[in-house]
Amino acid sequence: MIKIVKRDQPSRAIFFFTPVLAIFLTLVAGGLIFFILGFKPFEALKFFFIVPIADKYGFSELLLKATPLCLIAIGLSFCFKSNNWNIGAEGQLTFGAIVSGGVALLFYEQEGFYILPTVILAGAIGGMLYASIPAILKTYFNTNEILVSLMLVYVSKLILDYLVVGPWSNPEGFNFPETRQFSDSAKLPLLFEGLRIHAGIFLALAAVVISWFVFYKTYLGFQMKVSGFSLKTAKYAGYKGKKMIILVFLISGACAGLAGVGEITGPIGQLHREISPDYGFTAIIVAFLGRLHPVGIIFASLVVAITYLGAETAQIFMQIPKYTGQVFQGMILFFLLASDYLLFFKIKFIGLKK
Amino acid sequence: MNTNLKISNVTKIYPGCVANDNVSLEFNSGKIYALLGENGAGKSTLVKILSGVIIPDEGNIYLNENNLKLNSPLDAKKNDIGMVFQHFNLFETLSVFENLIIDSDEERESLREKIDTIMKKYNFSIDLDIPVLNLSAGQKQKVEIIRCLIRSPKVLIMDEPTSVLTEQETSELFLSLKKFSEEGILIIYITHKLKEVMQLCDEVAVMRRGKLVSVSEIKNENIESLANKMVGQNLKTIKKKKAKTSSDQLIKITNLNFTSEDPFETNLMDINFSVNRGECLGIAGISGNGQSELFQVLSGEIISEKNSIEFNKNYIGDLNPQERREYLMAFSPEDRLEQAAIPQMKIFENVALNNFKSSNFFNNGLINENKIKEHSKKIISDFNVNTDNIDLKSQFLSGGNLQKLIIGRELITSPDLLICFNPTWGLDVGAINYIHETLIKINEQNKSIILISTDTDELLKLSDKISVIHKGKLSKIMNSEEVTSEKLGILMGGAN
Repeated sequence: MIKIVKRDQPSRAIFFFTPVLAIFLTLVAGGLIFFILGFKPFEALKFFFIVPIADKYGFSELLLKATPLCLIAIGLSFCFKSNNWNIGAEGQLTFGAIVSGGVALLFYEQEGFYILPTVILAGAIGGMLYASIPAILKTYFNTNEILVSLMLVYVSKLILDYLVVGPWSNPEGFNFPETRQFSDSAKLPLLFEGLRIHAGIFLALAAVVISWFVFYKTYLGFQMKVSGFSLKTAKYAGYKGKKMIILVFLISGACAGLAGVGEITGPIGQLHREISPDYGFTAIIVAFLGRLHPVGIIFASLVVAITYLGAETAQIFMQIPKYTGQVFQGMILFFLLASDYLLFFKIKFIGLKK
Repeated sequence: MNTNLKISNVTKIYPGCVANDNVSLEFNSGKIYALLGENGAGKSTLVKILSGVIIPDEGNIYLNENNLKLNSPLDAKKNDIGMVFQHFNLFETLSVFENLIIDSDEERESLREKIDTIMKKYNFSIDLDIPVLNLSAGQKQKVEIIRCLIRSPKVLIMDEPTSVLTEQETSELFLSLKKFSEEGILIIYITHKLKEVMQLCDEVAVMRRGKLVSVSEIKNENIESLANKMVGQNLKTIKKKKAKTSSDQLIKITNLNFTSEDPFETNLMDINFSVNRGECLGIAGISGNGQSELFQVLSGEIISEKNSIEFNKNYIGDLNPQERREYLMAFSPEDRLEQAAIPQMKIFENVALNNFKSSNFFNNGLINENKIKEHSKKIISDFNVNTDNIDLKSQFLSGGNLQKLIIGRELITSPDLLICFNPTWGLDVGAINYIHETLIKINEQNKSIILISTDTDELLKLSDKISVIHKGKLSKIMNSEEVTSEKLGILMGGAN
């Protein structure tokens, strides 16, 4: 007989175990789906999860995809830990990319050491500006940040669309929807000859360290946490709760904006229509899979990045639609949320008593 | 027509606790039954089983020998069991009549006639066509009762019905209940207020920790005997020693006004009072008459004019709570789970919410975890919080333990003034006693208290002076020996 018993307090071990369990269940369910679709499950899973990262180039691609996911998820963890449901990171990424791209285009004929830092800064500011919209509407007009931040995603994508086909399109670009190429000084340096991995990864790693320190070790982090749980408590403790809400949105926007900078000043080197394969949305999964903890987020971003690569490989070699990647991302989140039940309840197997 | 309701061997087990342990009870119409017990004794679970909200693990319910299968509240209604919950289930913006017609399938016209007959019969006077939000708590409760009466119930269950009522409304309710009982409706009255049991009921069943401890006739019981059965130990009766009259003024409020932009808040009008050292000022009133706003103005969550609050010879009206703490004020808000503490955070993190310069909880912007933890351990042992794990999330503390932690957190700095708002709301007798003893101790140490409470007995027990707040205005301040609960009730109702 199986009996479900409530835990006296959530288990610490289970807290770290459920993400692993979720990944395992995703693999099982994924294999099952492949089987039903008529593929050999193990072969398909191999093409999905092992082949893409089996060589140096693949590994570099993995880091390339994981970088924006990690960066955005770190930013989102500030929001989510303080109960602010910013799901518009994709929009903040896009707007950050627009602003930094605009600055990079200003310098398109120039070279100089100051260009790259300016471009990076512009991206962070762009993301912050865009994130401040849901934040201010939430704090001063009681709007729901989920709706506002989500809707702004589409606004930013349309702005980008307008810019790359209209005023910012490359005059020598035969009407392709893209801007001029940035000058080399506006590009993040590549780390290895022949691989696409670029210096953006250091931005992500810096974000990991800084966010850990701020959230767990500083008074500011403590105030953010309190304000997120309850504005009433923040007020009672004498904190400026509304400012804290705006601050977490700004941090999150800055991170998403930086991820946008990485996308356009990395391998691509210009603005075009599709700068992000929904990194901003996928990072929500990464943030939760990583338990909103900086170190967890590093691992989670690597795991989820594989689904991007695997989907492409599986499409090329096995003609499995690449949208399977999104199915996997969805399943990870689904299984994670479901197995979180184990945090609060334990399953007891009791022998049949006669 | 005689009604017989039998609960037979009912057991309900929740993860980690046995809410009802093999409970058997029998009720007959013509009598009013009290179901008495502390919070968490299992009485709410039992009535939820009777009203179909919860399905028991084992046991049966019989109504006039019929075995009832109560799988939903609808089943209970069909079987003529009516229930009035502690929290009203009314749509505030709909009219009274619309609220009544919602769960009825009768024709509008005939229902209206029926309601009119009921109201005439029991002397209820409520305008059926005004929105429910314009009603007083007592009237809202009547609407709930009418909703049950429409179905001519055999059984009427009242769950802690007087918590929001004035003394006058309470006695009106009791009259109605007695009348219902005479008409053959079986009444089960759930409460933890002993006085009401003595006043109203004929028989009393006492529950403790999920078990039925005793069933007896009221005439064989008195308040002390019931209290002992309910708590399971002989209660120490607390008596407050009269404070030495001190003329050393600690806080003085002058011409304080607060006008809210929120229509659901109460404006405060021309508040004036002062509290001396070693004194406890009680502020009575029915909830929603400006207590919450008054608390916030005093704690600094709402900023007022600098000169309107004078504390220890400093004008502090424009300071926020954290700044006021530096002047040795402490605050214990009403809402433990949403304001005074954060359930999802650990105990020691909650302790850090009361932060002031000399606490050294945060140095140069960094968290000083060792200092906070050391401090937390002291609070836990000094204030009898029943845990030794300060890394525990505070949601796992019972209400009583959480309140001890909060009061402890506020008091460990030995403040000159503690402002508390309903400090024992929803706690069991053991915890209430502990909190009361603690508050008395503060006064004995020549520290002052402003006690805002909706519990009249508590106020009479602890206060040296009492004032009543009604619609944002304070009555004149009275010496507590001169007031009776009846007098307070009249003032709380807005009369002079």
